[in-house]
Amino acid sequence: MLQVRNLHVSYGSIAAVRGIDLDIAAGEIVALIGANGAGKTTIARAVAGLLPYRGEITYADRLLKPNSAERNLRLGIALVPEGRGILGSMTVQENLLMGVYTRSDRAQAADDLAEIQGRFPILATRKNTMANLLSGGEQQMLAIARALLSRPKLLLLDEPSLGLAPKMTDTVFEMIAQLRDEGLTVLLVEQKARQALKIAGRAYLMETGRILTSGLASDLVGDQLLSKAFLGGGPLPA
Amino acid sequence: MLLQQLVNGITLGAIYTLIALSFSLVMGILGVLNLAIAELFMLGGYFGFVAISAGLPLPIALLFGMAGSAILAGVIEKIGYQPFRNTTVVTPMLSTLGFSIILQNVATNLWGSDPLQLSDEVLGGRFMIGPIGISAMQLTLLGATVILVALLAFVVQRTSIGRALRAVAENRDVARLLGVSADRVTLLAFMLSGALAGAAGVLISLHYGAITPYIGVEIGLKAIAVMVVGGTTRIWGALIAGPLIGVVEVITIAYGGSQIRDFVVYGFMILILLLRPKGILGGAAADRVQRI
Repeated sequence: MLQVRNLHVSYGSIAAVRGIDLDIAAGEIVALIGANGAGKTTIARAVAGLLPYRGEITYADRLLKPNSAERNLRLGIALVPEGRGILGSMTVQENLLMGVYTRSDRAQAADDLAEIQGRFPILATRKNTMANLLSGGEQQMLAIARALLSRPKLLLLDEPSLGLAPKMTDTVFEMIAQLRDEGLTVLLVEQKARQALKIAGRAYLMETGRILTSGLASDLVGDQLLSKAFLGGGPLPA
Repeated sequence: MLLQQLVNGITLGAIYTLIALSFSLVMGILGVLNLAIAELFMLGGYFGFVAISAGLPLPIALLFGMAGSAILAGVIEKIGYQPFRNTTVVTPMLSTLGFSIILQNVATNLWGSDPLQLSDEVLGGRFMIGPIGISAMQLTLLGATVILVALLAFVVQRTSIGRALRAVAENRDVARLLGVSADRVTLLAFMLSGALAGAAGVLISLHYGAITPYIGVEIGLKAIAVMVVGGTTRIWGALIAGPLIGVVEVITIAYGGSQIRDFVVYGFMILILLLRPKGILGGAAADRVQRI
């Protein structure tokens, strides 16, 4: 579904991603793991179309243009950015309405909106609340719900567990697995490597702008490189 | 006497409100002070004059002024803002300053530097409410301002494009991720802003029955003080700050003399900057809630 070839991204003179390849097949969860600053977020943002880059990103046999987020969304790629990207000065309902911004099938979009509110009852209960007043977990639900409303085929999730209590993290990860079961393809960018590897089919391990290793998630769990990448050989973080 | 001054102050304040909203629409979304707005206001006045002189009815003159200034604002966005989007915030401000001087120069060459006067009042008639006199044109001006502000509020708060505007104002990247074309929204903000400034120009020049190429500097720029007093990041602050500054100014003229009016208004602006930089309504909490 997605092929990334020789991707380079720089911020000014700093090279954040240096020539990586990455593949995602339809219907799988691919985890992109690595320590802070490894370049994971940069890859997610490049695929979503928020950044200029060198190299090739192909989605559904179509070559994507750099820095064309609006177009990529219409093609079916949605990113839930790091920090959730909630529009805090808008109500929960307005955030959800922004999710259907690009939809021209109005009746269907209204149905989807109702369905999403059934799926996340908290968003229906709190629909007139300012989004910045939601708890971290609720904001993450809102961010994912809003992204789903564009009917994406590929969902990019950047650190969905960031700042969440462990129990809420479990809930979010269960939800991601469920979305996969419903046919969605997911790129999961995570620092919580062990938990990400539990639900992912395959994974890529990054360090300082490069892919260190990749393979089946189940194989990577015991990989020496993994614990080394995170803690210089120490135990793997939860 | 005082009540009469209040009415005149609110009339002037309504105009300030419209121009301040024009400034803060662009400011709220892009953080850029479009200095040419003062001259879009002035040109709106001339467009209105041209339409009225051609015998067109007032609503058409108003629309004509709004459309003319909106188109010019679009041109300014394309030439004076878009190419400088990724530079420091001073660069587009300087380019809009250039535009403002050019526009004033164009008006001076087209219509001369002497005031143009209307031969007849646009709307004759004057109503007396007790001791207070209010002209039909003044009432029209106030009515039109209320309608325009209500329309703007409706568009910004209740429509899909308004939500897109607010989304870009809050977080450009997130808005793009939701499929909003940030470039188109930016152009729209400039044009809406131009339309408001143009409307203010038409209304005030028809109210005075006269116009000069210098009203942009005299009245338009003062709306920056209104925006500051209302809070630069909250557009609705202008609804209170506009009439407030208008009343302060008119009362200053009545009781202190017109030579100190600018001193008082801009002094007030500097005081607000020093004491309440987020605007008179302001603290940080209010700003977190709503940007535009």
